[in-house]
Amino acid sequence: MDITLRSIAISFSAVLLAVLWSIPLSLAISRSRTKVSAVIVSIFTSLVGIPTVLIGLVLSTLLSSTGLLGFLNLLYTPYAIIIGQALLITPWLVSLSYDVFFNARNTYWELVISIGADYRTADLIMLRETLPEILVILLLVFSRAIGELGIALIVGGDIEGRTRVLTTAIAAAISKGDFTSAFYLGGILVLVLVSISLMVRLLKVYKE
Amino acid sequence: MIRLEDVWYFHGKSPIIKGISLTLSDSVTYVIGQNASGKTTLLKLMSLIIPPTKGEVLYNGENPWRSGKLLKLRKSIAYVHEKPILLRGTVVDNVALPLILRGIPKNEAAERARDILREFGLENIENKRRKDISSGQAQLVSLCRVFVLDDLEYIFLDEPTSMLDIENRRRVIDFIRRKHTKKVIATRDLALPLQLPGRVMLIDAGELRGNITLEEYRTRFLSYIY
Repeated sequence: MDITLRSIAISFSAVLLAVLWSIPLSLAISRSRTKVSAVIVSIFTSLVGIPTVLIGLVLSTLLSSTGLLGFLNLLYTPYAIIIGQALLITPWLVSLSYDVFFNARNTYWELVISIGADYRTADLIMLRETLPEILVILLLVFSRAIGELGIALIVGGDIEGRTRVLTTAIAAAISKGDFTSAFYLGGILVLVLVSISLMVRLLKVYKE
Repeated sequence: MIRLEDVWYFHGKSPIIKGISLTLSDSVTYVIGQNASGKTTLLKLMSLIIPPTKGEVLYNGENPWRSGKLLKLRKSIAYVHEKPILLRGTVVDNVALPLILRGIPKNEAAERARDILREFGLENIENKRRKDISSGQAQLVSLCRVFVLDDLEYIFLDEPTSMLDIENRRRVIDFIRRKHTKKVIATRDLALPLQLPGRVMLIDAGELRGNITLEEYRTRFLSYIY
């Protein structure tokens, strides 16, 4: 239970952190409609498939005591996993929300501008109108974050009671030959993912 | 007065509007053309929703995209999309929105929204949401959202009667006739200028092919029909 709650808390925090920079960025890119913005979106789209171990490796190098961010003392803490997972889902968030905002600019945003709104109000109304789609994206990236192993293992260290999450606990159980625990934890992970999938479905029904 | 000087608009590398120059000074101006002739893009350029790729759109001699008066000018013009776009909330919320954006208190805005909806016989749907109304009703609501404003200098209407039945079409035309705002109407409805007189701009493949009076239009229209 402890591991499940920690996994949810860490991945939820990672989603919130990633939202802080991803949503404003994709809003800005969707507004500019220049070649530069198209290039930025392409870069983020191609980063969607970046291996989690690579992010873990880069982050652990940065956070290690001799690394550029070593002074923060974040390595092997839940915060390191949060940052890593936030980096992992950023390309997903930016590219998926960009598509939503790009389409909404031709409809809701344009409509609100055409009846006298300023840009800030138009952005806020567009965000309100696209909220169900954005929530679906947030749930999807949450499931991506909670299901990853590489980052949690490399920068979290799988410390029991501190940084152990569902995926690292499964890996640890398998390495010890404790397949019963591994299947049990795997079942919980699947349950979390299925719950997210159901929420996505409900949100889509609500939207329609 | 709105003036377009050699206005071009490109979508990617394809020109949608090709060097159009014109002046809008009549009370009603029609932009008539076939599907994909560039009517909607031209209206969006005139109504300052999109900037031209090349050329200038001038309001009283000034280019709003450069003069810094864009947001202020947008408060004096409104554009109604061909395909009605309604926001979350009720029909009244939708119609009251432009008033609220102009700083009018919510209660007063809702009251004025109800008045205009009543005028178009839509009082029975004022508390309904977008998913619960027909496309014709949605078009009327979308028109009411602009008709509720009485401080506009220009209204741009893109196919305003395309989804309406005869009765509602008549209501809309009557309302437009009474409204003391300059109107620019894009339409494929060749009969509309005969019911609501105005100057006619003929557009084809992004080019202006004619800028004619109603009399000339009537002659061409009749020869086209018969």
